[in-house]
Order: sequence, then structure tokens, then C-alpha cells
Amino acid sequence: MIRRLSLVTVTLWLVAAIILGAMIWGSILTLSKGAFTVTQWRDLIINGVALGAVYALIALGYTLVYGILFMINFAHGEVFMAGAFTAYFAAAALADAGMIDSQPVVALAIVFAVAMVTSMVVAVLLERIAYRKLRNAPRLVPLITAIGASLFLQYAFRGLYGSSVRSYPNVPALDGTITIAGIPLRATQLMVIVSAIVLMAALWYLVNRTRTGRAMRAVSEDKETAALMGINVDQTIVRTFAIGGLLAGAAGVLYALIFSHVTFAMGFLPGIKAFTAAVLGGIGNIAGAMIGGFSLGVLEQVGPNLFLSGFGVPGANQLRDGIAFTVLVIVLIIRPTGILGRKES
Amino acid sequence: MRATRLVPAMRIGLIAGLALVFIVTIGFVETVARREVLTDLLSLSTTMIGMVAVLTGVVAARPTADAGEPLPGTAALRGAVAGLVAAVVVTLFAAFSSAVDLSHMFPNLRGHAFDTVTFGLDLPVAAVVLAATGAILGALGGILRALPPLPTRMVVTAGIVVVVLSIMEQVFRVMLTELGLRDVARFFYASGALTVPGAVVVAILAALGTWLARAPQSPVRAQVQRVRARTDRRTSVILYVLVGLALLILPQLIGRFPSDVVGNAGLYLLLGLGLNIVVGYAGLLDLGYVAFFAIGAYSVALMTSPQSFLDLQWNFWLILPLVMVLAATAGIVIGAPVLRLRGDYLAIVTLGFGEIVRLLFLSDWLKPWTGAGQGVLGIPGPTLPALEVPSKDPESIYYPILFFCVLGAIVAYRLANSRVGRAWNAMREDESVAEATGINTTNYKLLAFALGAVFGCLSGALFAAKIGVVFPHSFEIIVSITALAVIILGGMGSIPGVVVGALVLVGLPELLREFDEYRLLVYGAVLVAMMLLRPEGLVPSAMRQRELHESDEPEDQYDEEAGVDTGRPAVSGGAA
Repeated sequence: MIRRLSLVTVTLWLVAAIILGAMIWGSILTLSKGAFTVTQWRDLIINGVALGAVYALIALGYTLVYGILFMINFAHGEVFMAGAFTAYFAAAALADAGMIDSQPVVALAIVFAVAMVTSMVVAVLLERIAYRKLRNAPRLVPLITAIGASLFLQYAFRGLYGSSVRSYPNVPALDGTITIAGIPLRATQLMVIVSAIVLMAALWYLVNRTRTGRAMRAVSEDKETAALMGINVDQTIVRTFAIGGLLAGAAGVLYALIFSHVTFAMGFLPGIKAFTAAVLGGIGNIAGAMIGGFSLGVLEQVGPNLFLSGFGVPGANQLRDGIAFTVLVIVLIIRPTGILGRKES
Repeated sequence: MRATRLVPAMRIGLIAGLALVFIVTIGFVETVARREVLTDLLSLSTTMIGMVAVLTGVVAARPTADAGEPLPGTAALRGAVAGLVAAVVVTLFAAFSSAVDLSHMFPNLRGHAFDTVTFGLDLPVAAVVLAATGAILGALGGILRALPPLPTRMVVTAGIVVVVLSIMEQVFRVMLTELGLRDVARFFYASGALTVPGAVVVAILAALGTWLARAPQSPVRAQVQRVRARTDRRTSVILYVLVGLALLILPQLIGRFPSDVVGNAGLYLLLGLGLNIVVGYAGLLDLGYVAFFAIGAYSVALMTSPQSFLDLQWNFWLILPLVMVLAATAGIVIGAPVLRLRGDYLAIVTLGFGEIVRLLFLSDWLKPWTGAGQGVLGIPGPTLPALEVPSKDPESIYYPILFFCVLGAIVAYRLANSRVGRAWNAMREDESVAEATGINTTNYKLLAFALGAVFGCLSGALFAAKIGVVFPHSFEIIVSITALAVIILGGMGSIPGVVVGALVLVGLPELLREFDEYRLLVYGAVLVAMMLLRPEGLVPSAMRQRELHESDEPEDQYDEEAGVDTGRPAVSGGAA
């Protein structure tokens, strides 16, 4: 399809081209200076993959909900926080009981279960209380509700659990490094990446091979027709929120294992970044969310050093959070449907 | 069969009970317990819990699908049951929290957190007292619901006016004293709250006022009044002059701290007016509005402060036109990339812009110019060369803020009713149709962004001049969300709505200092509740109201036929 080239389109492409050009130029400068060794780049990439796994899990929640309701669940970052924060208390109790040292597998399983169930409950309540009545409302209405819900959840959890930063207990079993194919990985990172991949595989199976998955795909395609085919649309939507919540809860524990502390405000930035990842991969597309998550994680770790330090920008890593937003803007200008997204009407 | 419908009432009671447990657990009840509504008699926390109980009764006595409007007896019974269940839930949690120490998990739930709810009594006694109170208040709520609308409205208004006047003691007592009515002040207020006789007088006056202002009975009379109101311009001119005079002498009347509060509310009023143009008129949900606030503040800081690298030390008023041009440019620069984006993407991308602006001001990269975390200090106030007056104290800075608020409101009002405003309306309703009728949506979107940016920058400029320093942390995303909450509460597209929103959401919480910790929680709740219950806002613009209820109409008709309660305010009239 040929679109008429308007002034705006041309300007936007120009802007995107300038930003991309600056990125490439900066990369060349950085690399020619040789400020970082190969090992440093490799470590940055590994960090990025681990972080990207977490983003991907959260992004799946955005994508699943968007795929069905065509709304951005702005409060999904808080669903993630709720799980991680609540599971902290389970982890602390288990650490006190010595379980984390003696039975790390069982202990971690309990922590994961607590986080996932909490996040699931929060996600389902969110749908029930805040979103269900607004399914046919004008587009901005559910979005504003979601923003409000996000703020409410953040400060509700601050009220419940206090405003202090809590440190997750250390898991001795995850302390060492494991070398795979000559690449030394920290055990935590390996665990994060592996569990994320397992969860994604489980989700793929659920969506493509089970009745629930088929119902979800049908509802996403056309709610009315799905209802006529005997699918309980409300129930399917609740299940979608529940699955998104479960994944976000797991992501919360993985995030806490990487950064080892939790606060009530921890959900905001990962939430926005995961949304960016979902858009990058193509919102509504499950594989896209995974690809987007991993790419964004790596970009965010490597990006500031690669693009900015070549220009001699001091403290390039302070601008790390800006990378996600810049990526979002560029993707939306060049290819709003994302990497794997299909053409949307 | 006329079902009493006790099971739904019990469910409502359960929800209310859990809500009460929640606000106790987050420490809200304990925080507001220190403030009194009636001197030595009633604390704000008790009032609040009582109101929850009454509200539970009101909700429990809603008309149902099969039985319709309940009889007063049924309504009272349902309310009582709901109140009772809520009381039982609270008692159970109180017992649990006194038996098991949960304070390591819930820091606000130390030993006596539930004392305010249980009136400080021992549990067995408290259980009985609570159950009785819950049932009585719930029944009261049920009866209130079953009463005709007018008496209900009188009672509700009286209650709200008493609470508000009591909370605003700091303002009104000073005001009465300044007016030379020291004895009147002493009659109404004592130790930070309304006195009991004062409250009785206020309640009677409020109820009487509601009765006098009741809606005219016959539609003909209503029509006559409407026409008269439209033609009788003299009254409205007198009213405007009176309000104007009151606003001019306000800082002298209310003293320093309340003036400061009103000033802050004014800054958000200006932000709200600007965001209202972008969101309310043009329908572009801009979550990065704080960027303009920051740009305005920083440009004033850099051009007027002796400590900035520019070292220009220009006068505030001199650079204001420059700031406005800068603002419009910033609005276009930020607006251009998002022109093609649909509502929700636009929101997130603009949010990203807001964060990027803050990150840049905070970064080491721009430190030589913006001072990074240290900010820019020593910003002089908006002095006029001719007047040798101190310009930074709350009473003086109030005037420039007032000036720009009034100017902004007039501009916004004129815009809404102009060709441009109609173009925005059309665009918000349906972009493709607007384009098809010859509206250049690109230009109108950019115009909305630019105008919104000018308002935001003005507010930022006044903010910088008011507090004298700018730090990056003053420009977090929460500023955008507060401005959004301000326009949502009042009603998108409604200028009186923005005024109400700014006063209620920014002014009131500052008077209740201890409440500060829960301000954002309340903003979140306001956003959700307004969207669910009253998306057109408290003071809706006529057009917005029609728009938002247009799609409901066929649905409502169907619902009425089927006798289903949609729970919308339009159906359950009188609850507001």
C-alpha cells in the first residue's frame, strides 16, 4: 500500500534517521576508542539478557491483555510489584527458618508460589473492580482508570507494607558462577533466564494447545462471535488477566533475585519498559513480547555505553532509563506494529 | 413476592468491612484520628468510619432488579444487616490483630491500630458496641436512601458542609477574625474544629440553603428560570465583581499559610487549564505534561537567577514572553512525533518524554548548565521595577498567580467557544470525520500541544519564582498525574471543573498536612472512582455530559424495560 508522503511523515522519518545515525556514529566512536574490553561487553550483554527475560515476562501480561481487550493495562507494573513485595515476607520467613539454606529448591518454589498467587489475585481484582464495567467505554476512559489504579495500588502497598526498601534474603545456592560454552554465567542469571524460558514455553503450550488458549484466541479475534460459539467471554478475560498476573508475579521474584531489594515503587519503570518491549515486539503478539523483552534488556545495558560514551557524555548510564523511551518513540515512528506485529486496521 | 434481599446486603457489608480493615491497616484511620470535626466530641476518623457505615446502608438499600425501590422498612433492614456484617468483619480483624502481631509485615498495624475503630474498648464489649453502631448507622443509611430526594439532599449537604468547614478551620477562623468578628469566630471554632453549637447552626443553615435552592418543581418554571438566568446579565456582572473583589482581598483575609496553599492550588489550576486544552478539548491524553512545567521553571531559573551559568539576571516579567515562545516551540517539538499515534500510545510516549526531560535535567551530562541534582538556586521573585514590594512571600506571589489563572480561564473559555474549539471537538469525536470535513488535524493537534505547553510553562515559571529554587525532583511524573486528576475530578473540558478540582485535590490536602502521605492514594482512587461512576466529572461541561451518556441511552432504555439496575448515577438519582 502506498501512502501519500506528508510533511509530518517526512519530518518524523528524518528525526528517526537522525537519532539512529547518532546511535551508529556514537557506536563507531565508542568502539574505535576501545574504552570497553570484549569481556565487559559480554558481561553487559549477559546482564541484558537476564534483565530482558524479566521484561519479557511482564511484557507478556501487557500483550495478552492488549490482544483481548485492546487496552493498555497501565497498572500491570504494580501487579508485578505486588507479587515481589508480598513474596519478600515469605522469603524472609523462610530465611529465618533456615529453609533457604537447607532446602533452596523448596524454599524458592514457595516464594514463587506466593508471588504468583498474589499477583494473580491483584490482576483479577483489578479486572473485576476497575476494568469490567468500562469495556465499551470511550478509549481514554479505561486508560485513565488504569493510570488511577496504578497510582492507587502503588500507594496502597506503601500503606500496607511501609515505604522502606526491603532486602531480599540471599540464596546461597545461587551464589556461584556456572560456565556454559566458555561463558561464565552467574547462577542467579542462569536461573532467571532458564525459569523465564520455562514459563514462556508453558504459556506457548497453554495458548496454542489447550481449550483455554483456544478460547483466548477466539475472544481476541472477535468477542461477539466467540460468545455465540459458546465461549464464556468474561471468564476468558479473567483467565487472561490471571495468566498475566502469574507471569508478572514470577517476574517479580526473578527481578528481586537480580536486584535483591523491593519497594512499593519498584513496579513503575519495569512496567513502562516492559510495555516498550511489548510494543517493540509487536503488541498483541506473544512471541513478539519475548523478542522485544530480550532486545530491550540488551539495548538498555549496552546502549548507554555504546551510543553515548563515544561522544564523551559523562555518566552515560544515568540516561539508561531514557533508552527505553527513545526506542519506543523510534519504533512507533518507523514501524508502529513492532517487529512481529501484523498490520492493524 | 417482595424479596427482602438480605444476601446482597450482606455482601455489601462484607465489602465495606474489608474496606474499613484496609484503611485501618494502611494507617489512614490512625492518622486522621488526631484531627477533630467537633471539638472534644468527634474525631475525623470516627466521622469517616461513621460515614462509611451510613454509605454501606445507602448502597445496601439500592433498588434491585426484581423488587424495585424498597419500602422504607425493607431499606432500613437491609442497611442494618449490611452495617452489622461490616462491624463483624472489622471486629474479627481487630481480634486477630490483637492476638497475632503483624507489625513486621504491616508497619502501620502496631498494637493499637484498631483502637479508634473499637472506641478503645475491650474486645467483647467493643464487639457488641460496634455491632450495634454498625446496625444503627446502616439502618440510617437505608432510611436515607428511602427518603424522597430533597430531605436526603438536605441531610447530606448539611453533613458535608459541617465536615468541610471544620477541616478548613485554619482558613475561616483567621478570616472571621480579620473581618473583626472575633466573637463569631470564637462561637464557631474552638481548638481546631467546629464547636457543637457552631456545627448545629452551620448544619441548619446548610440544610435551609439546600431547601431554598431546590430545583423548581414544574418544567415550565424551570424553563422560565433558565431563560431569565440567561438574559439577566446584570446579576451575573454584580456576582463577578463581588467574586473578583473577594479574590483580591483574599490573602489579607486568610493569612500567610492559607495564602500559600491557595497559591499552590493556583499553580495546579493553571496546569489543569492547560492540560484541559490538550486532553479535554483536543482529546490527546498527554502524560508528559510535567515536561512543560519543568521547561518553564528551568528557563525562568536560568534567566533570572544570579547563580545560573547564563548570569543574565533578567526581570521575571521581561522574560515571560520569551518563556512563552519557548514553551510553544517545546510543545510543537514534543507534539510532532506523537501526531500519528492513537490515544493510548500517545499517553505512554508523552509520559516517556516527561521522564526524558527530567532525566536530562538530572544528568551529569547537562550538569554545567542545569546543576543536575543540586538544581538552580536564588531565583528572584516576580518583582515589578516600579513597585518596591517584597514579591516572594505567599501574599504577594498570590497576585501574579491569580492574574494568570484568570487570564488563562478567559483564554480557555474563549477558545472552547471558538472555531478552533469546535475543530478540536470534532477531532476528539472522530478524527477521520473531522479530517473529511476539512479540518487540518495535524495543525489543530499541534496548536493544542503548543497552547497547552504555554499554560504549563507559565505555571512552571510562577512555581520557580514562588519557591526560589528548582530541583529535578520537583518534576516527577506525579505532577502530570495530579494535573490529570484535577481535570478528571472537575470534569474534562469544564473550566469551573478545573477550579473545583484544583481546590479539592491540591488545596484541601495541604490544609490537612498529616494527610499528605495518603494524597496520592486518594488521587488514584479518585481517578478510578470518577471513571467508573461519573466520567463526566463533578462539574461537567454540557457537551461532555451528552457525549459520555449518549452511548448509554439505548442501553439504559433496555435496562429499564428489563428492570436491571445499571448502578449509574443517572439511574440512582439523589445519591449525589
